[in-house]
Amino acid sequence: MHDVGVVGIVANPSSARDIRRLVADGAFVTTNDKINMVKRVLTGLHSVGVDRAISMTDLGGISAALADLANGPTSRAWPRVDFVDRDLSQSAADTTAAVEAMVAAGVGAIVVLGGDGTNGVVASACGDVPIASISTGTNNAFPRSAEPTVVGIAAGLVATGLLDADEVAARSKTLTVLSGRHRHRALVDVAITTHDTVASGAVWDSSTVREVFLCFAEPDRIGLSSIGAHLRTVRRADPVGLYLRLGTPAVAAVRVPLGPGLMADVDVAEFAEIPLGSTLTVRTPSGVVAVDGERAFRFGPSDAVTVSLAADGPRAIDVERAMELASARGVLTRTVGRPQQHQISHQQ
Amino acid sequence: MNPLNRLDLYKQMVRIRQYESRILQEYHADKKPAWDIGAGLIPGEMHLSAGQEPSAVGVCANLKQGDAITAPHRPHHFALAHGVDMNAMTAEIYGRDTGLCRGKGGHMHLFDPENHFSCSGIIAQGYPVACGQAMAFKRKGTDHVAVAVAGEGAANQGAFHESLNLASLWKLPVIFVIEDNDWAISVPRSHSTANASNADRASGYGMPGVRIENNDVEAVFEAAGVAIDRARAGGGPSLIEIHTLRLWGHFEGDAQAYRGADLDTLDARDPIPLYAATLAEIGDLSMDQVASIAADAAAEVDAAITFATSSPFPTADDALLHVFA
Repeated sequence: MHDVGVVGIVANPSSARDIRRLVADGAFVTTNDKINMVKRVLTGLHSVGVDRAISMTDLGGISAALADLANGPTSRAWPRVDFVDRDLSQSAADTTAAVEAMVAAGVGAIVVLGGDGTNGVVASACGDVPIASISTGTNNAFPRSAEPTVVGIAAGLVATGLLDADEVAARSKTLTVLSGRHRHRALVDVAITTHDTVASGAVWDSSTVREVFLCFAEPDRIGLSSIGAHLRTVRRADPVGLYLRLGTPAVAAVRVPLGPGLMADVDVAEFAEIPLGSTLTVRTPSGVVAVDGERAFRFGPSDAVTVSLAADGPRAIDVERAMELASARGVLTRTVGRPQQHQISHQQ
Repeated sequence: MNPLNRLDLYKQMVRIRQYESRILQEYHADKKPAWDIGAGLIPGEMHLSAGQEPSAVGVCANLKQGDAITAPHRPHHFALAHGVDMNAMTAEIYGRDTGLCRGKGGHMHLFDPENHFSCSGIIAQGYPVACGQAMAFKRKGTDHVAVAVAGEGAANQGAFHESLNLASLWKLPVIFVIEDNDWAISVPRSHSTANASNADRASGYGMPGVRIENNDVEAVFEAAGVAIDRARAGGGPSLIEIHTLRLWGHFEGDAQAYRGADLDTLDARDPIPLYAATLAEIGDLSMDQVASIAADAAAEVDAAITFATSSPFPTADDALLHVFA
């Protein structure tokens, strides 16, 4: 069991500085924006009774600013803020270790500021602790849009037990890619591209993509998952994923937002549902495997690459559903005086 | 965007490293007393670029003849990657009459009008120069670009901000390259800069800004290629911050006592062996090639040093010639 009212905070200092700012109209979510968002999360957490937050540390300026504010002379309506104290490598390993420390400390929820990649790293270490995600990347499908104050409230309601995590935080699906020594897990998509270099990482040109494996495909998202969404909508809770083979002869052509401000017309040669628990073999003989939109590793004709769909991902807090339940149950409502329906009177 | 040629990228990085390694030897060879920077074969301060090869090579592989570069006080890697003649550059560093500036500039003042290459020891002052070059390209109607290079410490200078502002206002074909090697001489960024990334500062001037991690030449090549193509097509300026690595001191003779544990992991982060291992793994580089590429680079550098050391010094009679532009 977790301690009542303790929430972890993970904020990736490096998100949203990638090449999508050049090749598309990727957002500038600056360090100062991220600090501002963490402040709003803390305010939301405190408002529902969270009395302690545990933040990861980073060398990108977020935790340093937070420490200044939390220990500064201006009193704020925040939980006490503690920090995961460890040596930093300035890599994803910092996030993994921080999340492990938060889980060991008994947090009831973790708020994640980052993109699909950051959420994937948190997912590898958070176990059964529900996560609430805020998008600070350039091209995200996993985190839904929400005001950080409200995300803080929702995460706080789960962490304090005012809402039952089972009602608002369903288990996410994952795709696991295996090839030799390479093992990666995606929360949204795995793409097989014809690149011959990992280079700057991002995938932004659909003509380079040969196959796509999707955990979910929602029509209001951007990125590779939007290709599948316009052929067959697959919700996060559905017991299937989606497989797409791109190219010609096409069975369908879709026009989708592949990135922020970046539309693409994509030919789809084949698409099929992937049942939970099944493993597919990549058919493209060589290229690069991209995980959640980031190129991860190269493979050649002698390397077998498999992709498996499982329901073993993080429990993701649905902020919209959490707030609707909180409203319906009056969790944040205090009745003052005798309840009455206010009547509008019309005077002559 | 130019096609990716991994072997060319590797060869250029090895060539630059060989150059810096030999200059390092030569600089210290005859410097007696050691504290007199005017003594020895190469007079003056020396700022070498070992470890920062990926930024110069990745950027310059996307440039063409006629494009311009302004480099800072640590200029050799960009000069060589941009095609500045190694003999004339070396003669300049040795203070010889056959040098780029007839031996009067030294290693921080390499001016090559033919290749539109210049550098300056005055921090951040290459930024406005690059804007001027870019404005000239634009007014002439060419598709040339100007690349302004400086370190992360230079981005706190007023000239940096003034240049970004004008470049964006006038949509100039300029690419601002920031080499973040973690140290502004001895000052870490956390002690000098309110922003965690200079890439974020671009947003204040309405231009794209990206940060390239891992000192990866292919990632630099790709991002610079996109930024340069965008500028050539009239899309305006952009900023690329490259997280690179200063393998050696700020200047030769710098004991680097301020660096602490950062020094312990330098060998493991050296980008050239790392890239060689990557190329070997994918079958693009054999052990024989590693040896022959190193030998070719050594021969070229030795010839340039021989050219420099056998060249005459400027005479006293020439002291007042060519000192005004």
